[in-house]
Formats: sequence, C-alpha cells, structure tokens
Amino acid sequence: MPKEGRFMAIITVKNLSKTFKVKLKEKGLKGSIKSIFKPKYKVVRAVNNISFEVEKGEIIAFIGPNGAGKSTTIKMLTGILYPNKGEVNVLDINPVVNRKKLAYQIGTVFGQKEQLWTHLTPYDNFKFFGAIYDIPEAAVEKKIEEFNEVFELSEFINTPVRNLSLGQRIRCEIVASLIHEPKVLFLDEPTIGLDPVVKENIRTLIKRMNKEYKTTIFLTSHDVGDIEKLCKRVIIINDGKIVLDDSMENLKYHYLNKKIVEVKMREKVNLDNEEGITILKDKGYNLKIEVDITKKSVTDALKLLNPENIVDINISNIPLEDIISTIYKEGI
Amino acid sequence: MLTAVKNQTRITALSIKYALMREMLNKATFTSNVVFMVLNNASFIIQWVVLFSIRDNIGGYTLKQVLLLWGLAAMTYGVSRFFFAKAFSLSNIINNGKLDSFLVQPKNVLISAITTDVSPSALGDILYGYIILFIYGFSFGTFFLYTLFGILGGLIVTAISVILNSLSFWFQKTDVIAETGNNLMTNFATYPDGIFKGAVKLLLYTLVPVGIATYLPIQVLTEFNLVKLLIVLGFTIIIVLLAFLVFYKGLKRYSSSNLMIARI
Repeated sequence: MPKEGRFMAIITVKNLSKTFKVKLKEKGLKGSIKSIFKPKYKVVRAVNNISFEVEKGEIIAFIGPNGAGKSTTIKMLTGILYPNKGEVNVLDINPVVNRKKLAYQIGTVFGQKEQLWTHLTPYDNFKFFGAIYDIPEAAVEKKIEEFNEVFELSEFINTPVRNLSLGQRIRCEIVASLIHEPKVLFLDEPTIGLDPVVKENIRTLIKRMNKEYKTTIFLTSHDVGDIEKLCKRVIIINDGKIVLDDSMENLKYHYLNKKIVEVKMREKVNLDNEEGITILKDKGYNLKIEVDITKKSVTDALKLLNPENIVDINISNIPLEDIISTIYKEGI
Repeated sequence: MLTAVKNQTRITALSIKYALMREMLNKATFTSNVVFMVLNNASFIIQWVVLFSIRDNIGGYTLKQVLLLWGLAAMTYGVSRFFFAKAFSLSNIINNGKLDSFLVQPKNVLISAITTDVSPSALGDILYGYIILFIYGFSFGTFFLYTLFGILGGLIVTAISVILNSLSFWFQKTDVIAETGNNLMTNFATYPDGIFKGAVKLLLYTLVPVGIATYLPIQVLTEFNLVKLLIVLGFTIIIVLLAFLVFYKGLKRYSSSNLMIARI
C-alpha cells in the first residue's frame, strides 16, 4: 500500500544479512599442509541486518568503503546471492524465489564485469540482449534506433566492442541493460576507470534515462562526483551495517557545520589558539582556515581577519568527499 | 512453458553462433584446429589396423566395429565439447564468480553458462565421426541412429562434467576430479567392451557410464534393439536432470566474487 504522502516503495529490504565462510591459512608451506588436515574457518558478516526502502523514480547512492557490503547487497537484490537472513523484495518480487521473473524487470551494470560480446558490434550485442529478454526483433530494432538517437551512439554502433574506448564500452553496457526497459537499474561503480569528460557523459546518460524512462536507479560508486551530481538520497554502509540513510540535502546541512575560508591579506594576522578556527594552510599573506560555525560564526572569523585587511576572499563548504570520509572513519 | 523452451533454445543457438563467429575470426587457426583434429583421430586407427592384421576379433569387436566405436566416441566427445564447451571448465567459472552475468538474465543459468564458448577442434571430432560412418557403411537409418547416439552420448558426457564441476560449490577446487572423470569417459570409450570383465565392467555401466554412452549404442547400431535404445535414452534423461539438480542445489551456495572480468 502506498504510504501517506509518499510513493510506493519498489525495493524493500528488511533485516537482511549475508555471511561468508572463509578458510584461514597459516603462512608458508607448513601452514598450507596444516590447513589440509585441520582446516580452520572464520565467518565474515558481509551484510549485517540492514533494512531500507527505495521509492519509484529515485536515484539512490548506496556507498561505503571497500568491503563494506555494497556489492553483496546489490547481488542479493538482483538474485545473484542468496541471503542468510532477512527479506528482499524488488518490484514485489522475491529474487530468491523468482529470479527469472525479476530479471525481466531490472537491469544491471557492473563496471568491473563486462557483459557484452567483445567481437560483436554494439548493434549485434543489443540484438542479442533483446533476444535474451524475448523481445520481438522488430521491437528491438525500433528500440536500438531510439537509443541511438537519445544516447548518441551512431559514431560507434557498428564498431566491434573490443575496438571501443572504455567510456564508449560502458555507455554501451548501460544501453544494453536498458533494452528491455527495466523499471529498476542497478549500477555497480559504472564510472570506474573513466576520465572526467567520459564520467560526465555517463552521468548525463544516467540522468536522462531517469528522466525519460522514469527508471529507478540504485547506484554504488566511490566517485563523489557521481553521488553529488546524480543522487538526492544517500545510504552509507560500513562493516555491513547502514550508518546513514538520508537525503543529500540533509547530509550537507547536518555535516556542513564547517566552512573553509581562503583569504589573501595586506598584513599578516595571527589566529593561533582562536576557538573554532583551525589553520589549514599559512603562507604569510595567504591563509586557509576552517571555521567551526557551531563555535564561531563566519562573520566573527572575518572580523578577526579585519575586512579592511582582506584583498581577496573565498568561502566554501567542506567537500562532500571529506564528509563521506569522516563518516566512513568515525561513523555517525 | 513451450514458449519458454522455444526462447531458451533461440538464445542458446544465438550464443553458440556468436561463439563460433568469434572462433572464426582467425580463419587459419580455426581451419587448422578442425583439420588437425581429424588427422589426430585418424592416426589412432593405425594401431588397430595393425592389431587386426594379427587377430580377426578383439574383445568381441571386428575392425569395422572398432572403427564405429572410435567414430561414435569422437562424435560424443565433439558434441559435448563443441556445444557445451564451458561445462568442462565450470569449476573455474564457479570459483571465479563468473556466473553473475548469467544470474541477472531471465534464462536458465546452467545452459547459458556452458554455451558461451565453442571448441573448434571439437568440430573436427564431429566431422571425423561422420567420415567413419561413411567408411563403416552409410544408410539413412544408421545415419539417424548414429547422430542420435552422438547427441545422447554428448549429453551424458556433459552432464557428468557438470555434476563433477558443480562440486566446486561445496569443495572449491574440484577441477582435477572433474578432469579425471572426463578423461576416464574418453579413454574407456575407445576400447571394445569385451576386454573388460567383472568389477571394471560394472563400473563402466554405473559410475563411469561409457557402457551406456558408447557400448550399448554400438550394439544397437550393429543389431537394432529397441530396449537398449530406450535404456540409453532413459539414462540420458536421468543424468541430465541430475546435473541440473546438483548445479541448482549448489547455486544456492554461490558466493560470486569481485574479480575484474571481461567476456572475451
């Protein structure tokens, strides 16, 4: 049932857990021989009792440091892995029970794993993917034509995938995953290894498919640019647990209680031991300070610098990357 | 149900076609793989010709029957390695987490995973099988039965490989066990069954079912017997179903991986 004032959740995760049994081995040959006769195992809790919901049309960032449990969660949502505990529902389908039915409704792109046939052209690959999803040939042709126009593929649509640049290849991977018009798209680090221009192209493509096809996007990425430019909501996972689930706006509001002030001055000013001010860089007439606005307002900080003394000034927020790093390190 | 089977068959055929196209990119390598496999198989017949110049009958087989045995063994081997090449390295696919891309597709995971590659030399085996049939004596009836037994034998060999490789879901590296099982199937298939007695013979009709994949078909091809034909057919169905059962049971234990993977 739709919740009051909200859209219906199309991904529901309740108390989800996944553990892996990992074999332990002592060092050297002796350790290897010992592990044959007396193997020791440890249980790694990759995902530990997480719960969340995703609404239709959202672009959600599911982020965390390496080994936090992001990919394991995506793999449980898409039916690749079986959970040990908990419930998963994507579009009212349980991936464990009905993997095939779900596969018709979702798309997946794993930035580290190639799904396209490299000796075939993107055009042939799209046709192959159309066949996988039982789409009639005429409908696939029409869809390819449409994607060719929307996502500007004409330049390389008839070039074998192995001859494409990484950016063009990822673009084709994403387009191939859209051929059956999935309602939800899971993107696992889609911009990994791409240069800034290509990253921007991929982001535009993701935004466009969210807008044009109303596709819900579940994104994992280590690139803060992806998160900042695409997502309105962010879930941070660390050590298998959700440490933050909030809107991007709230994240910035709550965690941006520090401002960075960069000034060029006529005369040197000594701000040592001033409460709420941390000196980040001091190059004589050029100063970079961090102002903790819970302790000192920016106006008060500027008064200390003396406005008459300031030649140039730049006030900015703490980069999102630093906020996320702090959450990774310290939790909430 | 019928539509699902039709769609699965369509995508399997497409997958095999694309895999073959990939192998044909290098024409010289492709052709030499096929031709040299035919020559390689032919070279083994020489020793049998020498043996039959000394004796008329070895293990109840004449030279013509040994030829047929080799032909059918090659057909069986060829069908399994050409159409289901990845069944023989399934352990590696499981251990390296390469099943992910098949699991997110609305198709049968096992069939999709084992039909993404073809072995050009296996095409040489199939070709060799038919050359032998023409030497043995061609008739439409024999051709039909021979092709049927080649396919059934190929399915039996593939199913055994899938079962042994699927043990990787439980015991990680089982590629050596699988390889040993596959080699046993291939090696025993090229000897007349009359030379095996007692426990070995029992083994060949049970654990290493070469008897059902090759010996019974040779007996049917030499003298038609419906019961024996049905035994081969029934056994094939059972072992293929068992392969699916073991694979899907194991799939619940699949742990994927985060290795960088390219489909090449």
